[in-house]
Parts: sequence; structure tokens; C-alpha cells
Amino acid sequence: MQFNVKILSVAISMAIVPSLAVADEAADAKIAKLEQQVQTLQAQQNASLADKVKFNGFISGAYISSDNDAGYNNADSSANFSEDSKLGLQGTFNISDNTQAVLQLMMRGKYDWEVEAEWAYLSHRFDNGVKIRGGKLRVPLFMYSDYLDVGYAQPFARPPQEVYGTIPFSSYTGAGVSYDVEYDDSTLTMQAFGGESDVKNSAVELSNLMGANVSWTDEIWTLRAVYAQAKLDGPIVSEVTVPLAAGVNTQANYTVLELNDEKGSFVGVGASYDNGEVIAITEWTRSEIDNAYPDTDSGYLTLGYRIKEFTPYATVAYMKTQDNDERLPLSTATAIQMVAFNAERMAYSIGLRWDAIDNVAIKFDVTYAEDFGDTSGGFTGNSIDTSTGKFTYDDTLIYTVKFDAVF
Amino acid sequence: MKKLLTILALSLTAVTSANAAVVVIGNPAAADISINDVKKAFLGKGNSSVVVYELEEGNPIRSEFHQAVTGKSDAQLKAFWSKQVFTGKGTPPPAVSGAAAMKSAIASNPNAIGYIDEADVDATVKVIIKP
Repeated sequence: MQFNVKILSVAISMAIVPSLAVADEAADAKIAKLEQQVQTLQAQQNASLADKVKFNGFISGAYISSDNDAGYNNADSSANFSEDSKLGLQGTFNISDNTQAVLQLMMRGKYDWEVEAEWAYLSHRFDNGVKIRGGKLRVPLFMYSDYLDVGYAQPFARPPQEVYGTIPFSSYTGAGVSYDVEYDDSTLTMQAFGGESDVKNSAVELSNLMGANVSWTDEIWTLRAVYAQAKLDGPIVSEVTVPLAAGVNTQANYTVLELNDEKGSFVGVGASYDNGEVIAITEWTRSEIDNAYPDTDSGYLTLGYRIKEFTPYATVAYMKTQDNDERLPLSTATAIQMVAFNAERMAYSIGLRWDAIDNVAIKFDVTYAEDFGDTSGGFTGNSIDTSTGKFTYDDTLIYTVKFDAVF
Repeated sequence: MKKLLTILALSLTAVTSANAAVVVIGNPAAADISINDVKKAFLGKGNSSVVVYELEEGNPIRSEFHQAVTGKSDAQLKAFWSKQVFTGKGTPPPAVSGAAAMKSAIASNPNAIGYIDEADVDATVKVIIKP
């Protein structure tokens, strides 16, 4: 009752406005219209508050397991619920029309749900359209780099590890500048970035990180290219099994390679097509690092097809180190580098994305990796038998069941 | 059998004609805008002075509009906005509850555009494009 009185009083006060007072409408219709206007005004007022601060989040829960202990995506033969499970919370604060602060906190099962800021930056868009950002940002090396953890925005259960797994860092601290060129039916985005980074759970640091990328999209086709370079410094440490006596082994940390301001460079190209039904995504990358640290080529092609809420997909991916001749077994040290760094493999995935309910996608994926050549396939869990020179595993099969939600 | 087919054909025709025709509407004072600019505005790109309103999720007119203009299905649109939101590139436009609320919102802002069923158009707004 009180509500009605309130509406009426507003309605009456607004009815005094001359232009409305002369309207020749039945009283009921007039009140209905005024109620609508009051609602609109209230909505606009609420919207202006909501425009200042926005909170969003995403969550993924995944079960992965493998037929062996090679360690693809850290899967082994027992069930793993932590590797791909994650929670992200984001606050977007609009400081002014053109200035905003974004903070995205991530918790990952594989890091014991430790809270980390994945994005933490201040951005400003100048009147001429140039946008600058400073703080902690994602390194935009790959097509999915910017939203690497937002599974809901990706068709597959995880971006192909052959490509995305070659670079052991995903964010940097520094600044970036971007500019959009708007064409009639498409947008060209140019971006440059610079800063520093480090490799999680290691002492390797990246300095003088800089790069640029360009991408074009008409919302059906997307084409992109990227170049980046950095100096890498620090020890690459690996846990190795040291035989003390026959049948008696111990685990020890061994510095496989000491990086001494090695120059690294990265180039990548990518393309995707999505007309609402057919999805095709491909990326190819090359990373090159001075001396014994591996230079790697990698690529993948994903094809998918949407049938209402179901999107089956298939992926073929490969990776191969290109500079194996820099790690010839001339000494124990280089022999260990050869075993640790030489890597090649092919991976084949088939999967299904099911948009089960609003804002929740469920994904199933089976990935088979093989063709390791004379290498571990790039898996730390694949050890070499020094007496035969053979690695334990020459293939691996990984099962994934995952849900991705946004809120 | 023939009769049954006729009935089936008739009912199909009825379903087709009952299908709503979505139109893009703007404030009567607004300048004309191209279909490409409408598409960009609803994806948070291009000229930022244009204010857009969506109908709420689940509204069939919303799905029809996006199918015709941005080419995105409901699920694709959600994936698109989650990508924009979590990269700090933009947030989805505000959504209103229905045709009446849409017209009211458009009528109160000269820079606003939205979309409704053609049957709901009245003098408070003008039709910009029939996609």
C-alpha cells in the first residue's frame, strides 16, 4: 500500500509537468506510463551506481587422469582434481569515463589455492582512442593469453599444451599501449607492451621484455601476429634421481643450465573462424633462446561444430625442439641437457563442450600424445633408463572432465 | 493424408508469420546509424557516444536480434562478454525487462539505441533499421 502511495505521489508530481498534463489520455494509461518512467529513472540511477564498480568471477573444476605417469598437464594415473581447477574474482572500478582500475585475483588448485593477482592495472583511454595500461598484465603471446584461465570463453577443455606449454610465464609487470582502428565491418587492434616477468616456482627472471601484436577481426574471422623478446637469467633447476649404489637412489636438485642474460625471441601467428556453427582455430609459434635452452616450434589446429548446446571438437597439435645440435652428449652436463630439453610430440584430442545451463559449460576431452622420437616428449615424469637410453613412456592418454562457469 | 499435410503446411505458415520481426530503434532525435555501427555498438566497440540497451537474457527478441545483427548465439554472446569482462575490455550493455521499458529508456536518451518487436513500435521511438 505504501508503495502505491509513493508511486502515486511521484506520478502526481510528474503529472504537473505541462507537456504531460495536456496529454489526453485515460488516467489509468497515464499512470501506467508514469510508472514506467519512474522505473526507468530508478533503473538509470541504479545503473549509474553499478557503472562505478563491477564484480565478476569465473570458476573451473576439473578431473584429469592419465593411463600412465608421464605427466601430461601434470596428470598421472590417479585422479587429479587440482591441476585445472581454479577460481577468479574480478573487480572493475571506473574511476572516470576514460579511466579504470581492474583487479583480478586468481586461486589455482595446482598452487594450493594461493591467492595471486593475475591482472592488476590502471588503464586510461585518451580522446584520440589510444589506450594505455600499467601494472600487472597478461603477456599477449597467444590468442587465448588474455583469458587463459577463463575456460567458459574457450571452446576446448584447455588450450593445446604443445603450444601454450612452451612458455613458462603468462603475465608481466609493466605497461602496454593499444589502439583500435575501426573499419566499416571490422576492427584492427595494435598493441605494444614492455616490462619484466619471472617463472613461477623457479629463480628464472625475464627482463627487457617487450613486444607487439596486431589482430584483426570482423567477429567471424580473426587474424593475429605477435613478436616479443626478452632477456632470460637464472638457473634451470631440475629434480633428478641420483643412484648412490645398486638399487639405492636419492632425489636431488640439479642445475641443468645456468641462463646468463640469454636473449630470447618469440613469433606467433594465429587465425580463427567462427560463423556460429563452424569453428576453426589455428596458431603457430616459434621461440628461440640463445645457447642450450631449447628453441621450440609448435602449432595446432582445432575444428569444432556447434549443434545447439553441444560443440564437439577435434585438435591436432605438435611441438618440436629445433636446436638439438646444441645439446650433443659430449659431456655429462650436455647429456643431461639433451635428456631434459630435447622434446617432440604430436597430440590428438577429441572433446565436447556442452553448454548445459546458463553460464555453465561442461567439457569432456580425451587427448592422446605420441611420436616422442628419442625424447621424453617434454614430460618431466618420463625418465630415461641410462643403461638402454630409452624413455619409460612413448605415449600417453589423458582424460578430462571439466566444468567452466562465469558469474 | 493430403489433408494432414495441408494442415501441417498451414500451421507451419502460421508459426512463421507469428514469428516476431525485430527492429532496431532509436530516439526520435537520433541521427541515422549503419547496421555495422549497430553491430559494433552492441559488441562494445566503435563510437562510444552511442548508448545501447539489451533486452534481458532469455527474451526471444534478444536472440533474434543477435542472430541477425551480431551473428552470435546466446551462448556465443555470453562467451564473448566473459572474454571482454575478464580482460578488462568492456562490460555488457544494461538490459531492460521488455518492450515498454526499452522504449522508455530509448525515449529518455537521444544517444540510445535498442531493439524491439516491430509490433511494439510507437511514436516515442523511431525505427532505424530492419535487420
